Amino acid sequence: MTDLMPLIRNETIKMVRKKRFYVILLVLLVLVPMFTYAQMKVTERNREKFGTDWRRSVQQAITDNQNSLGSSRLPEEWKKYRQIYIQQMKYYLDHDVNPQEPGGVTFTREFMDNASSLFIPLLIMGLASDIVSSERTTGTIKMLLTKPVRRWKVLFSKLVTLMMFVSLTVMAAFVMCYAISGLVFGYQGFDMPVFTGFQLNGSDVDLSAVHAVPQWLYLFLQLGLIWFVSAVVAMLAFMISVLVRSTAASIVIMMAALIAGSILTNMASAWQSAKYLFMVNLELTDYLSGTPAPIEGMTLGFSLAVLAVWGLASLVVSFLVFTKQDILN
Amino acid sequence: MRSTAKLWRMISLLSGIATVLLICGFFYAVKDISNPSSAAGISVSPGADSGSEQPAPSASDEIGIVAIGDSLAKGTGDDEGEGFAGRTVELLKQENPGREVKLYGNLGINGLLTTGLLDELKENGVQHMLKEANVILLSIGGNDLFQGAEALEEGGDLPTAAELNKAIDEASVRLAAVIPAIKKLNPEAALIYVGLYNPFSDIEQMRAIGNTGVTRWNTAAQTAVNKYSGALMIPTYDLFAGNLERFLSSDHFHPNGDGYEQIAQRIVQSLKQ
Amino acid sequence: MEQQTVISSAAQIRSGQPVLEVRSLRKRIGRKWIIEDVSFTVYGGEIFGFLGPNGAGKTTTIRMLVNLIKPTAGSIQIGGYDVRSSPEKALGQIGAIVENPEVYAYLTGWENLEQFGRMLKGVDEARIKEVTELVRLDKRIHDKVRTYSLGMRQRLGIAQALLGRPKLLILDEPTNGLDPKGIKEMRDFIRRLAEQGMAVFVSSHLLSEIQLLCDRVAIISSGKVLAEGRVDELIQNRSNYVVWDVEPRARALEILSNNQITVLKQPETVLDDSVMAGIPEGAIVCQMEGSAMAGYTALFAEEGLRIQSVYKINPTLEQLFLEMTGGESID
Repeated sequence: MTDLMPLIRNETIKMVRKKRFYVILLVLLVLVPMFTYAQMKVTERNREKFGTDWRRSVQQAITDNQNSLGSSRLPEEWKKYRQIYIQQMKYYLDHDVNPQEPGGVTFTREFMDNASSLFIPLLIMGLASDIVSSERTTGTIKMLLTKPVRRWKVLFSKLVTLMMFVSLTVMAAFVMCYAISGLVFGYQGFDMPVFTGFQLNGSDVDLSAVHAVPQWLYLFLQLGLIWFVSAVVAMLAFMISVLVRSTAASIVIMMAALIAGSILTNMASAWQSAKYLFMVNLELTDYLSGTPAPIEGMTLGFSLAVLAVWGLASLVVSFLVFTKQDILN
Repeated sequence: MRSTAKLWRMISLLSGIATVLLICGFFYAVKDISNPSSAAGISVSPGADSGSEQPAPSASDEIGIVAIGDSLAKGTGDDEGEGFAGRTVELLKQENPGREVKLYGNLGINGLLTTGLLDELKENGVQHMLKEANVILLSIGGNDLFQGAEALEEGGDLPTAAELNKAIDEASVRLAAVIPAIKKLNPEAALIYVGLYNPFSDIEQMRAIGNTGVTRWNTAAQTAVNKYSGALMIPTYDLFAGNLERFLSSDHFHPNGDGYEQIAQRIVQSLKQ
Repeated sequence: MEQQTVISSAAQIRSGQPVLEVRSLRKRIGRKWIIEDVSFTVYGGEIFGFLGPNGAGKTTTIRMLVNLIKPTAGSIQIGGYDVRSSPEKALGQIGAIVENPEVYAYLTGWENLEQFGRMLKGVDEARIKEVTELVRLDKRIHDKVRTYSLGMRQRLGIAQALLGRPKLLILDEPTNGLDPKGIKEMRDFIRRLAEQGMAVFVSSHLLSEIQLLCDRVAIISSGKVLAEGRVDELIQNRSNYVVWDVEPRARALEILSNNQITVLKQPETVLDDSVMAGIPEGAIVCQMEGSAMAGYTALFAEEGLRIQSVYKINPTLEQLFLEMTGGESID
């Protein structure tokens, strides 16, 4: 470990000086206000329609969903989503808890929920995609590998640095989202109760284990799950970066995989074996909120296993290739 | 040189803390999701904040309208999607320019039967909404009577007079329970029950049976409504009789926009009294 | 002055000890043998030239020396350690620039040196300062490398290679892209390093450069070492040419052939263009040891021939190369 620290330090300085992380902060700084503004408009319109009483809008949402259940054009899986949604909303009404209590914390929770499968992985990809390939494009890899340091240590230090920045990115997304949306919605809401523990059984929700947690704890759990997803995405992007010489190509490959994932999630329920792809398993936070998984038979344990296998496999490939490879250019 | 040392110290510290926190969050989340029943939750006291948040609609000058019931309440068949509820709001706004008129919500559900409505009335959210309203618009019974309507569309059998009578007998008992249930929730609000019309008056075999049935039903409804002050029924039978072409939508069962407009006008008139 | 202390550890190597030993090195990429047979030895305190045309396998060989490429067969020993089996110890004794000096353009020169210093043992701030002064970058060292000229990058590359007090310095085409003044400075610099006991391995496709700089040379072509030895020995072992501008020409040819001296009928096939240009019209080019010149001058004088000029052509590495490879051109 003593000889790894200086290497990690090197990689950290490079990461900062390359300004990759600043780009991420900048992206957040531009996009979060946009989402905040959009949410503000939605809130305004709801207030116009339902007044300040959230129960009305929740009840209306329930009724609307009940109505669409009657439509024969609605695919079966969507019906399942809606039935579950209706049961959850009723649970909130029964316990007199507003699922969308306005506030910076609630906005952040919902934003992170939506960001976990595509937005944050894209940010992570921006960090990871060039961590090895850029050394190849600029030729600095020759300087790096002709030093009296084993190759696996060089790669390992890059991996550790990447994981450090994965954590920082997840945290930065949270902090920036909270700070910016709080300006509009206020900074309150950390101790508001949120329900979790909905156990899904087909289209039925088992409410026996539902319990309320304060929103700060919910966010804590949510961020932990997002971190895991991000770490796996980082490992995959890391592998691509080792395998592909050009940074542009490695970004394109990862981006295609992620976007394919978000498309598949919306239509894959008919294709059962798609659940073994890492891209459809990125929405771990769904298990927390009780949103049904895109494919029958997916559980938290299953998704974690699939992601872990993908992540570990890409690490194995990365290290095997990197330590054996001839550096020809 | 000094700056990179400081930078390194800061980043390693921050990311170290962040990583530890996130990993803890991750394991906590896995534990909570995979074994939710053992997880400690905080207790939520429903009374605590509902009292403070409960708006008092009567205090303000606002007219709050809630529609409840079947597809007619929802407005099925209206190309503009307004239904009589939306149209009533519009008309009231025109007539009362000074007052705030709002549709608090439309709880109409397609195909709802009287049994379904009784269940609905037990829901917290539904109760809450009804409690807040000044005006409650109710439409129910059509599906109980003409359950075969869709079967008819698809070429099924028409209900016989005996079947229809049996349905009316059973449903009117339930309607008689619906009215007090709503009144109990909100004694203040004006409850307006929208009566039935016979959508089949232009079909030879159905005209007589339908007319008799609808009349029987409306009479039963009138009886149920009359028991309560602030509750009234508005007739639609006469509106549609002979005007089916004009007021029915293409599904030959629900009113079209003009039909709903007619109903809304009657509602507004009845509210003036 | 400071150079004396800088290379202190290198100075401890006794000259004449082998620092780098390459034995029967072979490398196959795909189906093609890029390196077929490369062996040579570099001793402490010498400047060793690695000469060959582009594509001969110089860079591939260097990449194998610094563990960027794994040899298919053969062994590389640096200071007694095998590069494959104990890379940390072997690489700890060399400093290298492979092809261009590629450093991080978004860091300053100093930060670059800090980066590489952290990967080596015993490099502190004082050492970085020392090396910076040695390559005369101290004025610009805190500027971003992005703003450096090619020469400055080259010097930063050398500074980086020297950081770990290596016994062996590997420089791939060190004068590439430098102006004449820079080339001369680089040469002086390399000589100074070697004087202090460091072995310097220089590859080049420029023969004149090797000739001017190196003590010993290995000549590589198509993945094989054609010759290895002291530059002056290699030259001596080759045929020498003497140019005679004599009147009358016919009589001179007669005398030379009587003495079994070979006269070149078409000297341009053997001699370099630049040498040919200096030969007077109608002059005789023959193969002859320089030491025999005096005797023949006397002989011609006795015969009443008029000698307008006579001189020896020092064979260049170009010539050697042309002879060894049978006409394959070098650059």
